[in-house]
Amino acid sequence: MTNIQNKNSIDKAVIPKSKGKNNSQSGSQLNHSTDWFTRMVKFSPKFLLLLLIVPVFGGLIGVLLPAFGWAPALSQYDFGFQGFNALWQTSGFGQMIGLSIATGLVSTLLAFVVTLMILAAFFNSVWLDRIQQILSPILVIPHAAAAIAVGFLIAPSGMISRLFSPWLSGWELAPNGIFPHDPYGISIILGLTLKELPFLLLMALGALAQPELGKKLRSQHKVALNLGYCPMTAFFKVILPSLYPLLRLPLLAVLAYASSSVEMPLILGPNTPPTLAVAIMQWFNDVDLNLRIKASAGALLQLALTGGLLALWLLGEKLVKCLFCESLTNGRREYGGAYWQTITGVVTVSVIVFIGLALLGLVFWSIAGFWRFPTALPDSFTLLHWQSAAMQVGEPLFNTLFIGIITTLIAISLTLLCLESEQIKGKLLSRFTSLIIYIPLLVPSIAFLFGLVWIQQLLAVQVSFISYINVIIAHLLFVLPYVFLSLASSYRQLDSRFAIVAASLGTKPCKVFLKVKLPQLFAPILIAAALGLAISFGQYLPTLLAGGGRITTITTEAITLANGASRRTSAVYALMQMLLPLIGFILAWVLPKFIYKTAHR
Amino acid sequence: MQSSLHIKNLQLFRHNELLLSLNEQVNGGEILTLMGPSGSGKSSLLNWLTGSLPSGFHADGEVWLNDSNITFTPAHQRHVGVLYQDALLFSHLSVAGNIAFAMPPGNKKQRLEKIDAALEQVGLKGLADRHPDNLSGGQQARVALLRVLLSEPKAILLDEPFSKLDSQLREDTRQLVFEQIRYHKLPAIMVTHDHSDAEAAVGKIITLSKLA
Repeated sequence: MTNIQNKNSIDKAVIPKSKGKNNSQSGSQLNHSTDWFTRMVKFSPKFLLLLLIVPVFGGLIGVLLPAFGWAPALSQYDFGFQGFNALWQTSGFGQMIGLSIATGLVSTLLAFVVTLMILAAFFNSVWLDRIQQILSPILVIPHAAAAIAVGFLIAPSGMISRLFSPWLSGWELAPNGIFPHDPYGISIILGLTLKELPFLLLMALGALAQPELGKKLRSQHKVALNLGYCPMTAFFKVILPSLYPLLRLPLLAVLAYASSSVEMPLILGPNTPPTLAVAIMQWFNDVDLNLRIKASAGALLQLALTGGLLALWLLGEKLVKCLFCESLTNGRREYGGAYWQTITGVVTVSVIVFIGLALLGLVFWSIAGFWRFPTALPDSFTLLHWQSAAMQVGEPLFNTLFIGIITTLIAISLTLLCLESEQIKGKLLSRFTSLIIYIPLLVPSIAFLFGLVWIQQLLAVQVSFISYINVIIAHLLFVLPYVFLSLASSYRQLDSRFAIVAASLGTKPCKVFLKVKLPQLFAPILIAAALGLAISFGQYLPTLLAGGGRITTITTEAITLANGASRRTSAVYALMQMLLPLIGFILAWVLPKFIYKTAHR
Repeated sequence: MQSSLHIKNLQLFRHNELLLSLNEQVNGGEILTLMGPSGSGKSSLLNWLTGSLPSGFHADGEVWLNDSNITFTPAHQRHVGVLYQDALLFSHLSVAGNIAFAMPPGNKKQRLEKIDAALEQVGLKGLADRHPDNLSGGQQARVALLRVLLSEPKAILLDEPFSKLDSQLREDTRQLVFEQIRYHKLPAIMVTHDHSDAEAAVGKIITLSKLA
């Protein structure tokens, strides 16, 4: 992350500009220090740190102690290794670990490789923008909904097998198949890869959209072409070495998530045994409270496992660098580029068709009446499932919106204040702060969330109002990083001369912030808000755990229903999960066209 | 056989509006200079010659390099080298790495020897392992020149190559570039704003006017 920020600071010369501003206002410095707004702004980064560090590290301590046997809630006070012993003796323990490692690593690698292939094959071509436009809505789809859609697609009676039956496969009845829930985790890998691919691609394109860097890399790519390099080789030898440092953090976040998430493995994964993260969750939710010691030990193991994978990735990075350093300058210009171009085209089209079919299948199921096996279209359509869902959706929908909106409001306000504090102080947030902001993305949430639950129980607060606050704090941990990531670059690029002009006209700092800066940032703020809402809507584990299982949202309902009896109800909930964030993004896109129209012309 | 770059009956359009027409032959060692105000289509001409004409532009006519028609050859198979006003050295590679990147593959030791010899020839002896960002503007320009020359191009295009250098440096670099072009007998086309560049090239000078 620090890389990106250093780049920004150099590119946009934030520091000199803000310094200039400070100088121009030095006359009113005395005034400033007593101004409540300025004091609040200056304090905001500390508050941000507090808000992130306390739950994450508190939560980690909260699993550390019970893992070693100290659990006052269970009246256990003997330090020891009973939790770990129970863990080793779990049947299929090795398989569990293997499944977590394999699904995390393979899906991240696959998503990364396909991202690189797409970038390399379509660099500087109009197709790159088109692919981005097609894939970026996938970002908005919560993991659970994506998993449900993929599950429907690859199931024995899913869309794929319907399209090939009976003319090719000869199946008149749905066959017995291993997908989803296959013991090898192939379904999980498929789901995770499809979900992370658009994220990585968008991150890469975002980095390339930085004005200075993007221009430099595009002209260097052109130089390589002039020197006789085939376009794909030129990408790998010229662009990638400069681009990779900017992709490292998103990659690590993807790897951390993929190796420790529960949503995808719950819906697509096997159950005998499941992945480690899912197993931990099941132990925690077991009626036998003593299993919680084992679960805590498991959470620690998950932490080590994800940490190990991140270290392995960084090591792999070094290895790749060593292996290929020589070949960068060996002068070879062609590695079968045309061949790879074709493969990339086929892969890209397959990904898009696969996603399209999955979504289509979901829509069909949600409105299907009777649907015999080999037919690709339902025999009849009905709105019954939507109607019955609408009857029950009231409370989950209210919770989803209430928690999402409050969380996003807090995240946006805090992010804006922190970014304003950068400008007032004339320097970027410290490296430590910027690192802490991304900590919730790199530490497996299952590890610290359980600690949080322990602590809550220790405090013995059982009011439902409190569980809302707990859920909001838990959501904030995941919403804040993305909101910050999305707002930071626009805020830092803001032309500081507007603020200087306003200040020189005698405007107070808080008015400059509210009336000059925020209107200019209206569009980026709305995008960040839509992103924050989407992240909050999609949270499963934080809602479940911090809410003590008492707070239901669309997402928790969708996951509960996913493995249940009715595909149709499940499809309806998955679609609702997709529609909510979609509405947010459409609003974020439409509203700036009507409000503050002049601000971003 | 003498090398040559031949532009046959070129008509360059931007949004169906004629930008320039040109019919020229440049022989090996000669430098054709194109002058003209911004918007007269100089850069678009170079883009067309390198095979990277942006959308919105289109061209009629052909370009022949040493008796082969390269009008529709992809950019990376044309063997046309370009020197831009920015050196555009790769910052993830050393000075030697930048040059090696451009050279045809081959024996590693021979390539390194060739790089050292070339660096010495242009007065950059001992800078092989330096990072390009730590070089002065003039040094960067010379590395960029070596990079193009050692890629063994069959023709060379100069896109205001000296405009970012100050006057003394500009003269020295220019002399070096022109000498090398003549020594390697490469047909060259230079686009420039500067009259002294044009005079130093001692070749045909075409002044484009802004048609639009």
